[in-house]
Amino acid sequence: MKILVVDDFSTMRRIVRNLLVELGFTNTLIQEADDGNNALTMLRANPFDLVVTDWNMPNMTGIDLLRAIRAEPSLKGMPVLMVTAENNRDQIIAAAQAGVNGYIVKPFTAVTLQEKLTKIFERLAASGAAA
Amino acid sequence: MNAQVSLMEGGSVPQELHDLLNSADGAAFEQALDVLVRQREQRMFRALGLLARDLHDAVRRLGGDLAQEGVPGSVADARQHLHDVLEMSSQAAHRSLDFAERMRPQADAVAAKASTLIESTMESDGARALAVQAQSFATECREGLADFVVAQSWQDLSGQRIKKVVNFIGSVENSLLELVSLTGALATGEAAAAPVKVTSQDEADRLLSEFGF
Repeated sequence: MKILVVDDFSTMRRIVRNLLVELGFTNTLIQEADDGNNALTMLRANPFDLVVTDWNMPNMTGIDLLRAIRAEPSLKGMPVLMVTAENNRDQIIAAAQAGVNGYIVKPFTAVTLQEKLTKIFERLAASGAAA
Repeated sequence: MNAQVSLMEGGSVPQELHDLLNSADGAAFEQALDVLVRQREQRMFRALGLLARDLHDAVRRLGGDLAQEGVPGSVADARQHLHDVLEMSSQAAHRSLDFAERMRPQADAVAAKASTLIESTMESDGARALAVQAQSFATECREGLADFVVAQSWQDLSGQRIKKVVNFIGSVENSLLELVSLTGALATGEAAAAPVKVTSQDEADRLLSEFGF
């Protein structure tokens, strides 16, 4: 499995990486990008199974990255989990409308991350079985 | 119509106009009204002129203060200080994460060894009791370290706010400089009034010696 963690703060990338390991994603290749642009380049170059992204980033924000992923035929099915300090109602709605798979408000706990990830993978498995 | 009504209510209608209002001479009335409006316009323009001069003076003073206090330099300093705080907090958070990543395998190793010992011995001696205790301690450490890692997200949350303040300072600085250059205040020579600073103790001593120190 391959997961891309996108955040402009190296601390947060490392925290998410640590939590993923803690949650048992040990046989997982976790890669990092510091903004939406770099993330998009990496996603186009290699297949990933999940994107965990921040909202506020220079160059390309998380919501723009999400929209770009959904607009690109080869990437549009990619699950995207947003982890952000943005708890504004309108922004959460915008993310939902753009097709986000999960939304976590910072600061968060390992339990919250696990819940959202489990839900994402359950839904994927269900839609995969239905297809 | 409203203007006429309010003029009459205000009682400020000159007698001449008042008389014309009641007369049948429409042209003369309009002429008198024009004169009245022009008088009022002139008063308004004078007031606007005074306001503009006050604003100009205020901005000139601001321009002078900026130059004297070296505010543009301080703004750059303020931005640098915040940038340093961001950098230091990031380093501190990474050091804490280093610690957590170093301790986690050690806690795992203690738990594994304790578990082996507990399984291999049936006797409830002191060593077994210690192993049980070590195992529970290792588990608690593991959980504590996970919380510790999550707690480091303060750096990201506070850092985002610092970045917003840095951007705000930049926009305030730009607006101030625009305002000052708009009025040409800095070009009036007040900028040259900035204090001359000595750069070394020798210079300071030389300067002081001129005053008999």
